[in-house]
Amino acid sequence: MNPLALSLILTTLLAGTLITMMSSHWLTAWMGLEMNMLTMIPILMKTTNPRSTEAATKYFMTQAMASMMLMMALTINLMYSGQWSITKMTNPVASNMALMALMTKLGSAPFHFWVPEVTQGVELTPGMILLTWQKLAPLSLLYQMATYTNTNLIYLSGLLSILIGGWGGLNQTQLRKILAYSSISHMGWMLIILPFNPTLTLLNLTIYIMLTLSIFMILTNTFTTSMSSLTLMWNKTPAMTIMLMTTLLSLGGLPPLSGFMPKWLMIHELTKNNSIIMPLTMAIMALLNMYFYMRLIYYSSLTILPSTNNMKMTWRFTNTKHTMTLPTLITLSNMLLPLTPMISMLE
Amino acid sequence: MMYIVFIMSVFYVVGFIGFSSKPSPVYGGMSLVVSGGLGCGIVMSSGGSFLGLVVFLVYLGGMMVVFGYTTAMATEEYPETWGSNVVVLSAFLVGLLMEIFMVMWLFSGEHELVGFYFSGLEGLMVLGEGGFEYVREDYSGGASLYSYGFWFLAMAGWMLFVSIFIAIEVTRKRY
Repeated sequence: MNPLALSLILTTLLAGTLITMMSSHWLTAWMGLEMNMLTMIPILMKTTNPRSTEAATKYFMTQAMASMMLMMALTINLMYSGQWSITKMTNPVASNMALMALMTKLGSAPFHFWVPEVTQGVELTPGMILLTWQKLAPLSLLYQMATYTNTNLIYLSGLLSILIGGWGGLNQTQLRKILAYSSISHMGWMLIILPFNPTLTLLNLTIYIMLTLSIFMILTNTFTTSMSSLTLMWNKTPAMTIMLMTTLLSLGGLPPLSGFMPKWLMIHELTKNNSIIMPLTMAIMALLNMYFYMRLIYYSSLTILPSTNNMKMTWRFTNTKHTMTLPTLITLSNMLLPLTPMISMLE
Repeated sequence: MMYIVFIMSVFYVVGFIGFSSKPSPVYGGMSLVVSGGLGCGIVMSSGGSFLGLVVFLVYLGGMMVVFGYTTAMATEEYPETWGSNVVVLSAFLVGLLMEIFMVMWLFSGEHELVGFYFSGLEGLMVLGEGGFEYVREDYSGGASLYSYGFWFLAMAGWMLFVSIFIAIEVTRKRY
């Protein structure tokens, strides 16, 4: 894309999310979400094959429908309460409809069907923006309006997201679809803790974004998009293979790594509120996620598949992709667990 | 003639059924013109004469002409996507039936008639309190977009500017 057009579009993408996050009036929040959606489309269509066009069309259709439902919800709210504030949507029809619209924008079950298809249809970099930056705006709205919504709907959607994110990713060999199902599952965890302690939602979002950015950047650097190319990664960059292993274990929530922090604190918060079956189910279903991450680790770093001898000694070319933020992100995504007492600064 | 707003809103919805029956620009164009005109009538009946004319000018005369008619010139007139004409006609009839059922439900039972009495809507639809004052309220609403709401205006103008870039990027030739 022309660099001027690309910088204009990226600036508007940033502006859309910031406008939504900074607004207290529903109309400006909706406006920021629309800006996000519209400017995401040419980013998704950067490559010229029909698959990207189809993915961008699917993204536009689902997000436009969600924006329509959100607009209907906020006009119903205006009709019954006469004001436009985000935090006080007292009419249940309005707040539940807005909740469903925002869940569609996030990609939570039962509105998750667009996430694997759109993520698979585009390149790694637009997929990365889709799964990380696009979660900020709807979650900031959900954070503000969750007190008046029907919590049963939130728990149902969250639990269903964790189930679908776990079971859906089991049969996948394409890495972008695996990361899409991982995103669905993490959205489920974020939704469930929202009525109990919204700060933990933000913590989970932060750590999830760090982890997903790390994994996407490792994959971009080594040009791997499927499990079969993962098996060749040990040859090119053994250091990144090991880092992929630890970051994937962190994404699954294994204890000495950062990904354990949000899951631990969320289960702690749920049990403090006398809810036992739900965190038990959530923790068990997170094992499904862990299984397919383990499969990726097995194929990338724990085994070397049979190959010819000249594949074991590849020529090391200079890396043309920039790895500027990658060491910081990998360190943060693996070693943050001892800093757990610092979450009090998020309050 | 008392229920003219209600009749207009029913036909507004029927126009929507019209363009959702078939993904053809011909259907879309005609139904949008009809629905746009009726929507303008609904806005005008709540006292917004200026805003109704803005609907005609900007919506039908600007957006519709630019995007709708150029799409109609560029794409196929009657795409064979959703099956035969029988499917399209039955989709339209199902939509029409749903609208008739909704109108019948509205008049049955003891509940409040939502969507029938449009008398109190001047405050909701058009800025102002609904009374005849010395200054028409919808003009002041349009003017306040430029004074109190200049940030909305700036963002709306910026998004229109960016959407042209987006449209050009999307319709670039792909090999």
